[in-house]
Amino acid sequence: MTEHKEEWGSKLGVILAVAGSAVGLGNFLRFPGQAAANGGGAFLIPYFCALFLLGIPIGWAEWTMGRYGGRKGLHGAPMVMGAIGKGRLARYLGIFGVLIPLGVSTYYVFIETWTFAYFLKYISGGIGIDATATIAEQTAQSGSFYSLITGVDGDGMLFTGDSKFTVISWVVVFAINLFFVFKGLSKGIEKFVSFAMPIMAVCALIVLIRVLTLGTPDPTLPDQNVINGLGYMWNPDFSALSNFKTWLAAAGQIFFSLSVGFGVIINYASYMKAKDDVALSGLTASATNELFEVGFGGMITLTAAFVFLGLSGTAGAVATGSFGLGFNTLPVVFAQMGALENVIGALWFFMLWLAAITSSLSMYAPSVAHLKEATNWSHGKSTAVIAGIGTIGAVLTLWFTAGGAFWATVDFWVGTYFIFVLAMVQIIYFGWVFGIERGWKELHQGASIQVPTIFKFIMKYVAPAYLIIVFVGFTVQSLGEELRKSWSTTGSRVAMLTIAAILVYLVIVTWVGEKRLRAAGVDIDDNNPAD
Amino acid sequence: MTTLGWIFMTVSLTGVWGGTFWCFKKVLQSPADEKAPPGFGP
Repeated sequence: MTEHKEEWGSKLGVILAVAGSAVGLGNFLRFPGQAAANGGGAFLIPYFCALFLLGIPIGWAEWTMGRYGGRKGLHGAPMVMGAIGKGRLARYLGIFGVLIPLGVSTYYVFIETWTFAYFLKYISGGIGIDATATIAEQTAQSGSFYSLITGVDGDGMLFTGDSKFTVISWVVVFAINLFFVFKGLSKGIEKFVSFAMPIMAVCALIVLIRVLTLGTPDPTLPDQNVINGLGYMWNPDFSALSNFKTWLAAAGQIFFSLSVGFGVIINYASYMKAKDDVALSGLTASATNELFEVGFGGMITLTAAFVFLGLSGTAGAVATGSFGLGFNTLPVVFAQMGALENVIGALWFFMLWLAAITSSLSMYAPSVAHLKEATNWSHGKSTAVIAGIGTIGAVLTLWFTAGGAFWATVDFWVGTYFIFVLAMVQIIYFGWVFGIERGWKELHQGASIQVPTIFKFIMKYVAPAYLIIVFVGFTVQSLGEELRKSWSTTGSRVAMLTIAAILVYLVIVTWVGEKRLRAAGVDIDDNNPAD
Repeated sequence: MTTLGWIFMTVSLTGVWGGTFWCFKKVLQSPADEKAPPGFGP
């Protein structure tokens, strides 16, 4: 069967797809918590430094390498990296560009399911918080619902009693994901994000307006007002800047938020035409992500929590982490909004679901592309195989829910640590092997903007050095503890074995693809440069 | 909220909103997409 060549329908489509991949739960839940815990407004100094010195330059490198690979007919990160790095080492290091999105998808769709399940509950009457009870009792009620949906109290919990609702919701969410991935790039993913992104912005705007007009809901507690809530998030504490952990947290936030070093941009950009702009597209996708993160995430979450829960309640919520804040604390906040509780709750979780699904859709495309080009199988057959792998991963995630050990382990290794590794590999190959002069010229092919020349220096020297420092700092700070944790429970051990199994599968597919493409005469080592 | 808090918030919000609008304006002003010729692809 002859298949049409995959390509984007419009330049806005690819920008929205990359932005959709980047905008996720972290924009609304992780960013405000990180900022409040690391200097408030002052956090924005290292945050924007990391954006301009790491996030945007590495993003440009990925867009450029992806489009270059696509010109040679290569789409999976291993083959694209093999062409950029002219050989096997780069190709096999490029496996991280498939392992990361595929591995993350195993648990991300599960968390996406929570948002969907919360949304369904809010539109059908709420999650059962009694607003007349004390805040402590409401928090306990919210916690019970959270446990019911996430199965965090024990392995296999989701397959018993009322928790089966989560499994049913997962089936629906996974099916929606597969439907759009199966439909392909322009007819599936691009079409979906073209609607989802504007709707998400409208939902965020409505929730933002509601939060900013809360005033002082309880006149007996005049300090708990919107202005003080904003102050909790934005008042700068400059002493945090002298702490290395603040700079590490800012770099980490930029990384996980922008989807750089994730393997998605390189794959998406490979479907662009040779003269399509990548410079402005990369910048626009990053800017969109920042709008959702700073413009919405930085204004909504903690302000709402502060107004109803006060200083100590909000600080306690931040300490519970992103998920505690988003799924446990905010429902208590919504319960204080009277008649609007279910409307705002539904809008909030629908928005989170859109943020999550526009990210999860992007996680399957790299592995489908990699399998297709390695085996020459059809899009449908490749999607079916990846769906099978995704289902196995998801069943493990749904079963090993105790303490969230399974997904937290995959999240640390695949969704955090390997991202640093891939980003380092990419920027070093781009600046030093492909060559910065060649890369700069390639970046500006068909560009709608001229990137300031200082970025040539940043991409060659500053970004790799910055990344190495952050990577070493991150390793020293977290690796020992994480290694111990990763083998401490059944769930975490199964997670480690799952990662190893996916890695073995990807090495085999890459090896098969290498042989097939070579036999077909494809220039996978870039012996005849396409520029 | 302190004066510095207002400054940090205003500057950050102006930056992200202004930056995003500027980018999208440039994207929409740039030449229309090149159409693929008929039969493009294998």
